[in-house]
Amino acid sequence: MSGRRLFWLIPLLLLPVPLLLDQYQQYVANLILVYVPVGVGFNVVVGNLGLLAFSNVAFFGIGAYTAGILMLKLGLPWWLTVLPAGAMGGIAGAAASVPALRGVRLFYLAIMTLAFGELMRWVYIRWEPVTGGSFGMAVPEPSVLGWALNVESRKFYAFLVLVVLVIVLTERLLRSRFGRAFVAIKGNEEAAAAMGIPTDRYILLGFAWGGFVVGIAGSMYAALVGHLSPASFDLTELILQFAIIMVGGLGSLVGSVLGAALLTAAPEFFRDLPGFEELLFAVLIITVILFLPRGLASLLARAHPVFDDRYFRE
Amino acid sequence: MLAFLPQLVVSGIATGMLYALMALSMTVGYRATTVVNFGHGDMLMIGAYASYVLVVGIGLPFGPAFVLAAALLFFLGVAAQRLLMQPIIAGPHLSLAMMALAVGYALRGLARIEWGNTVLKLPRAYPAGAFMLGPVVVTTDDIVISGAVLALLATMFLVFNVTAIGKVIQAVFQTQRGAALVGINVRAFYATMWGAGAALGAVGGVLMALIVPLTPDIGVATLVRGFAAMTLGGFGSLHGAVIGGLLLGIMEKVLGFYVSTVFIDITAYLVTILVLLIRPKGLFGQHATLRI
Repeated sequence: MSGRRLFWLIPLLLLPVPLLLDQYQQYVANLILVYVPVGVGFNVVVGNLGLLAFSNVAFFGIGAYTAGILMLKLGLPWWLTVLPAGAMGGIAGAAASVPALRGVRLFYLAIMTLAFGELMRWVYIRWEPVTGGSFGMAVPEPSVLGWALNVESRKFYAFLVLVVLVIVLTERLLRSRFGRAFVAIKGNEEAAAAMGIPTDRYILLGFAWGGFVVGIAGSMYAALVGHLSPASFDLTELILQFAIIMVGGLGSLVGSVLGAALLTAAPEFFRDLPGFEELLFAVLIITVILFLPRGLASLLARAHPVFDDRYFRE
Repeated sequence: MLAFLPQLVVSGIATGMLYALMALSMTVGYRATTVVNFGHGDMLMIGAYASYVLVVGIGLPFGPAFVLAAALLFFLGVAAQRLLMQPIIAGPHLSLAMMALAVGYALRGLARIEWGNTVLKLPRAYPAGAFMLGPVVVTTDDIVISGAVLALLATMFLVFNVTAIGKVIQAVFQTQRGAALVGINVRAFYATMWGAGAALGAVGGVLMALIVPLTPDIGVATLVRGFAAMTLGGFGSLHGAVIGGLLLGIMEKVLGFYVSTVFIDITAYLVTILVLLIRPKGLFGQHATLRI
């Protein structure tokens, strides 16, 4: 376990990174930081709880629009919108857990949460006075305590702090009795309930935490791109987010980070080639499912046990 | 206002027929393998493009192109099941769902690479037109689509209920282990039914291409409708899928006219969510939830 402390070196080593990158590379690095919590939150529900829920893009969009609306309509500085965005994401997560609590499972849950996500996209399109409709909304310049995040490198540091917080807190959660309850529920829900674990409460908590984390990622996204439009939260986004956790490794924090780093950067190479991005994600997911079911994280875990952050065997 | 109702119901039935076919083709694959094919919408899309290539690109007459497209999709479905689903069939449900979704994405990516986002239109093999039936306008598209789907439904019910193959299908639908014990090759059956679902989806795609412009994304929108129809009718129920599809088609038109046009797009989502919350087994389905 003490080897884990070495992980604290990673954010320190990342500190000088902005010196090495140009503006565009820095933007891609920031995008990776945005997608780390997206993967972390998604992985809690799908990887740790083992529930087939497709509502992650909805949480992401709700967080992004919450931040955008608070900044544009109420004039709040960006840093004050991060927690509200997370809270709205968490509430959406709790709401999305309702069908799961009512016993909807497997693909029923998948279809229902998919419908929820798509319905949210219609809310962004139709609630025009607030969201700007299909043209989207321009997000004002983000700032932290009066310090304007007007260059990409400043956003990088602000995001890095949030990402470290999210990972540390989620790691604590997964290693506590909550995380152990998740493992039990994923393994066999009926058995977990029979052993006296209040499965409903833990499922609700898992969804809410996932939504909270992804909502925070949404606020980071709003700050990074400066423009929100409903098209950013469609089914193509869902496959990106799914690819992140599948390719990185289900139920693994290391996997969420690896997946975000690898897959967020990749589409930047295909900007002008429509279709290649979808094909790449699809091929990666298929390859991982067939040949590497525990994702890239399992390769790292094999190289050194310090990277093995799965608290269960299959 | 109420005078429009018959018209809305009639045009609702025509689109509902397409949803019914979609839901039915998904139900066939689902009943056989208990896996919902999240990539099914893209099978439909590929079927539509295949017939477009055969008709416009190669110049085949409509009929043979139609059959050939369905046959191609049958083999695509069989290949997808055999090569990608079968190796992980014993694995967790999540992997199966993701695999199906990924196959769909791969197909959509390929279609987008080949045809980009340009909008194509499949030429009709019959004159476009409309005539009055009492107070109601009926288009030739409505007639062709409804006629084709009804003919297909009749054939399917005959195959399921009368032929020897139908007996095999029903046996495996009831119990897969039992069917294997009496000597039915369940593996081959999975692949065949997956292929049959894809072929039926392709027919739906061709019919849809008659009324909707062809883009790589038509499959996804239809997939959501197919899910809604299946949910409404009850998962796994064949006649439920048909009735659910028709009801969904009518509801979209009626709500879209009387309440707000936004309902044309969101009825399917609302139906899915409300049915699964209030009555998860739908109209004719089996129990669908886990009770603890």
